[in-house]
Amino acid sequence: MSQLLPYLGVALLLLVVSVLWARQLFLARKNRIELIVPRKHQATGGSVASHGDLGERIFDLEDWYFISGNEPSEIQKLFLRERSILAISWLRRTRRRVSLVMRAHVVAVQQIEDLQLAQELKLALSYLVFLILCDFLIGWIWLRGPVRTRKIVGQTLRTVAWLRGAFEQLMARVDPANCNALRTNFNHRGVRS
Amino acid sequence: MVIVFGQFLWWTEIAAEAFILVRSINAKLYRRYLAFYIYLTVVLLIDLLRFSVLSLHAGAYAPFYWYTEFLHAGFGYAVILEIYKHALNNSQGVARIARAFLWGVLGAIILKVSWNAVSGPVWSPGTTSAELERDLRTVQALLLAAVIALLAYYVVPAGRNLIGIIFGYSAYIYASVVSLAFGSLPGYGLRPGWRLVQPIAYLAALLIWGSTLWSYSPNSAAETESKIDHDYKLIAERTRRAISKARSFLKMGGEL
Repeated sequence: MSQLLPYLGVALLLLVVSVLWARQLFLARKNRIELIVPRKHQATGGSVASHGDLGERIFDLEDWYFISGNEPSEIQKLFLRERSILAISWLRRTRRRVSLVMRAHVVAVQQIEDLQLAQELKLALSYLVFLILCDFLIGWIWLRGPVRTRKIVGQTLRTVAWLRGAFEQLMARVDPANCNALRTNFNHRGVRS
Repeated sequence: MVIVFGQFLWWTEIAAEAFILVRSINAKLYRRYLAFYIYLTVVLLIDLLRFSVLSLHAGAYAPFYWYTEFLHAGFGYAVILEIYKHALNNSQGVARIARAFLWGVLGAIILKVSWNAVSGPVWSPGTTSAELERDLRTVQALLLAAVIALLAYYVVPAGRNLIGIIFGYSAYIYASVVSLAFGSLPGYGLRPGWRLVQPIAYLAALLIWGSTLWSYSPNSAAETESKIDHDYKLIAERTRRAISKARSFLKMGGEL
């Protein structure tokens, strides 16, 4: 019976991807997915880079040191609760934006002729790790608060920066003119924030 | 009862194959999905030949069945090639890598089974063909899963024809892999019910193909572009109107 497992595993894999694709087709028909990412990028304002700065500010210990040194415990609790809400909200927004970048990427790479599978796999894996990290962080902040989660946030920010870099590299190959505009946009926002 | 049902399935399949092929010529689909229709033609010819052999030389039917089953499974790769070609039509890089991968896998499977057949103690056409078919179908299932995953991951727009070919063939391959895997077990292979799984799944695939390949439905490859184009035109039109309004306002103000 054990010799059947590889065959049944492959059959199950085919069944699962078929069902997922059918679901995607059904949802796409029901609710047309918007793939025009540059417009969304502008509409939402701010980039992944400026979000990174905001994240650093949210998880910065400076405010906490000030509150914990001078204020009573009620204020400290209030600070931690509000900072947790802010941190979770920031993580959700960052996750959504990185998903948009990823969506833009998968649409853009369809036009590339010399597509590098290694780079694509690396990007997909990093994206998966990022999603898992974000969910883990949200749970962790909810349980332990933002102050104790600071170190893990550093890793998340590095992943975001890497994804942004990889995306810019690919965009440079697809559309150099737009990529320059995009990079300038990122830099300007970084200076402003 | 099972034999009568099997015969009924056989005749229905032959009729459905002939109907889809005639329709493909009428709807001018044959050239667009050439590899797929070649596969369907080969399967129809195999079915007719099998029927002739069964009627004229019933004793030779069993070996003939296995040899032609190998052909059936081998030509199934034409459908996979067709799916890859149409699904990755606008992604030349991915298509090139996928084609090399596809031929490499087919070569490796044939080499492996040939080596097993030559080095094994007893060579039986039935067992070897059954093993080859099971392996070929399993590889086809893997390749189909890969192309469906690619389509889902890259949100590649697929037309009604391509969706039909993929879902129909996936249903058949899924049933084939499961039935051939269970059929290789000593207790299951001889049960008459298991022999009907593949024909029923194939008939289901033919029904899906019959309905989705009724008329030509291209892949909306440029859907995103056209949407951007459409949005751009819309925005440009609105901007033009706004500018013209502002100009007329300024003109009026200037005159006042």
